[in-house]
Amino acid sequence: MRLFLIGMSHKTAPIEMRERLQLLCSEGNQPLTELMRLDGVRETLYLATCNRVEIIARAQDDGQAVDVLKSFIYRQGNLSIAEMEKCLYIHRDLEAVRHLFRVTSSLDSMVMGEPQILGQMKEAYRMAVECGAAGVFLNRLSHHAFQTAKRVRTETGIAGNAVSVSYAAVELAKKIFGDLKGKVILLIGAGEMSELAARHLLRQGVGKIFIANRTYARAEAMAAEFQGTPVAFDRFCEVLPEVDIVITSTGAPGYVLTAEMVTAVLRRRRNRLLFLIDIAVPRDIEPAAGEIDNVYLYNIDHLQGVVDANKEGRRAEAMKAEAIITEEVEAFERWFNALAVVPTIVALREKVERIVKGELEKSASWLEKLGEEERNRVETLTTSIMNKILHEPMTGLKEESREKDALPFVAAVRRLFRL
Amino acid sequence: MIGIVLFKTALTVYLVCAVVYAASLWVRRVLTARVATWLMLAALVIHTFSLASRWFIMGMSPVIGLHDSLSFFAWAMAATYLALQLRTKTRVLGAFISPVICLIMVVASVELGGDVGSSDALQGSLVTFHVIFSVTGEALFVVASCAGLMYLIQDDMLKKKKEGSLIRLFPSLRDLDKINHLCLSWGFTLLTFGILAGSGWARIVWGSHWQWDPKQIWTLLAWGLYGFLLHQRLVVGWQGRKAALWSLIVFVFLIALLIFGKIFFQTIHSFV
Repeated sequence: MRLFLIGMSHKTAPIEMRERLQLLCSEGNQPLTELMRLDGVRETLYLATCNRVEIIARAQDDGQAVDVLKSFIYRQGNLSIAEMEKCLYIHRDLEAVRHLFRVTSSLDSMVMGEPQILGQMKEAYRMAVECGAAGVFLNRLSHHAFQTAKRVRTETGIAGNAVSVSYAAVELAKKIFGDLKGKVILLIGAGEMSELAARHLLRQGVGKIFIANRTYARAEAMAAEFQGTPVAFDRFCEVLPEVDIVITSTGAPGYVLTAEMVTAVLRRRRNRLLFLIDIAVPRDIEPAAGEIDNVYLYNIDHLQGVVDANKEGRRAEAMKAEAIITEEVEAFERWFNALAVVPTIVALREKVERIVKGELEKSASWLEKLGEEERNRVETLTTSIMNKILHEPMTGLKEESREKDALPFVAAVRRLFRL
Repeated sequence: MIGIVLFKTALTVYLVCAVVYAASLWVRRVLTARVATWLMLAALVIHTFSLASRWFIMGMSPVIGLHDSLSFFAWAMAATYLALQLRTKTRVLGAFISPVICLIMVVASVELGGDVGSSDALQGSLVTFHVIFSVTGEALFVVASCAGLMYLIQDDMLKKKKEGSLIRLFPSLRDLDKINHLCLSWGFTLLTFGILAGSGWARIVWGSHWQWDPKQIWTLLAWGLYGFLLHQRLVVGWQGRKAALWSLIVFVFLIALLIFGKIFFQTIHSFV
C-alpha cells in the first residue's frame, strides 16, 4: 500500500498549462470516478484551485500506479508528455503527506497564508466522500491535514499578515491611482476571490462597486452585502466607461472581456487609466487588452511578482510553520505505521486463537469426561498461555511501529507465522 | 561677498542632495530619499538667502544677468518640487530634478564672477517681471518633463510587470500625471505673462513688440508647443502615457533647438 501525490501548481506550471488541465477536469465528479476506475487505485482525492491541480491516490503498489496516474493526466490535459513532464511533480508516501499538509496550511500558496485553500481542500474531501473515493486512510489524512492547517493558522503569524492576491492587487492599484478613494470598481464574476478583493477595496475607500454575475440573483445578493450595484452579465460593457478597476473571476472557458471591448470605450473614458485584474483560471481578459495605452492588465501569474516582494518579512513565520508541518507529518507517520501493524496483530491473534480452538475440539471427546468446572479451568489455562506467548511479540510490534518504519518487522512476523 | 558664499554653499548642498537622491534609487529605501528631501529644503533656504542678499545688498533685481537668472531658474525648480512634495507623495521625483538643478547651478556659478548685466536695456521693473515669469514658467516645464520621464519609466515597469522595490519607490501614475498637468498649465500661464511683459519692454527699448530674433522665435515656439500640449490635454483628453511622452519629446526638442541656436545664431536677446 502506498500513497502518491501528483500535480502541478503555480510554481511549476504556467497558467496556460493549468487552464487546460482544469478545463477538462471541471465537469462535476468525473475525474474522481475516472480515477477510481484506474488500475490499483484504492482511494483518491482531487483538488483543483486557481493555482493548482493535485491528485492524491492510495494505490496498491508502486511503479505501475504512477504511470497510470500520469497517463490519466496526459489524457485529461491533452498535452504532449514532454510538455507535461516539465510541470508535474510526484511525491510518494511521507513526502506526499508533507506536501498535502503544506498545501492545506497555505504554505505552498501563491499568497502564503491565504485562507481560501483550506475551504477548497475541505470541498475536495467532501467530493471524495460523496463519490466513495475516500476510505479509512484518506479520511484520516484529510482530517489530519485540516488539523495541521488549524495549528499553523493559530500558532504562527502567517495568516495574520496574509497578503492575499487581492491585497497585492490593491497595492498595485495604489501604484497606478495613488489614492483609491472614490474609484469605481467592476467585479465580473461573484466568486469567493472577487468577494475578498471587494472587501479589501472597500477598506481603501473605493466609491462605487458594480457587480456582474452570470446568475443575476448572486450578483444582487453580493451587491446588497457591499452596497454595490448589480449589473446584468451581458451588459457590463455599459458601465465600463465609468469604471477604474475591473476584477474578473468567472469560470468562463473563453475571454469575457476582450481588447476590442476596452478599445471601444477608450474615447468615452477620455483615456482615463484603467486597471484590469484577472484572477480567473482560465483567464477572463484577453491579454492584448494590456497593451493598450493607459490600460494595465495583471493576471494571477503577474501578481506572483508583487507577492514575492512582500515575502521577506514572513520568512520567520514560515519557518515556524514548517516546524509544525514536520511535527504533524511525524505524528501521521506514527499512525500510518501503526495502521500497518494492526492487521498483523489481529491476524496473529486470530491464528493462535484458531489453533487453540482447533486443539480443544480435537480433544473434545476426552474433555467431555471432565466436569463442568474442570473444563472451564482447562479453557482458562490455554487462553492464558496463549496470551502470555502473544504478549511480547504484540507489544514489540506496536513499539517498533512507534519508533520507525515497522514494515520489515511486520514482514518477518508474517513470514514466521505464515499469516 | 556674502551672496556668493551663500550661493556656493547652496550649490554644494544641492550636489550632496543629488548624490543622496541617486543613492536612494540605488539602495531603494524611502528613508534615504527623505534625507535628500530635507537636504534640498536646506539648500533652498540657503539659496533663498543668497538671492535675497544679492537683491538687498547690491540693490538690484536678482534675476537680471545670466548668473542670476540661471540661479533663479534653479531656485524656482527646487521650490516647485518641494511644493509638490507637500501635496503628493512624489519623493523620488527629486532624484530626477536635483541633477538638473545642479547642472544649472554649475553653469550659473561659471558666470558668477562675470559682470552682471547692467546695460540700459535691462533697467526697469517690467524686465524683472519678464524674467521672473519666463524663468519660472520654463522651470515648471522642466519639472513637467521630469514627471513625464518618471511616468514613462513607471508605466514601462507596470506594463512589463517588473515588480520590485524600484516600483514601490516611485510615485503613482496618477500623481505623476497630475504633476505633469499642473506644471504644464502653470508654466504655460507664467510663460504667457513673461512673453507679454518682455514684449511690452521690447516696445519701450527696441521700439517694437517683436524683432524676429532667434531667441524670441524659440520662445514663441516653446509657447506654441506647450500650448498645443495643454490643448490636447484639456480638449482632446490626452492623459497618461501619451501626454507624458509628448511633454518629454517637446522638452528634448526645445533643448536641442536652444543649443543649436546658441551655436549658429546671433541674438540681440543675449542677456540670458
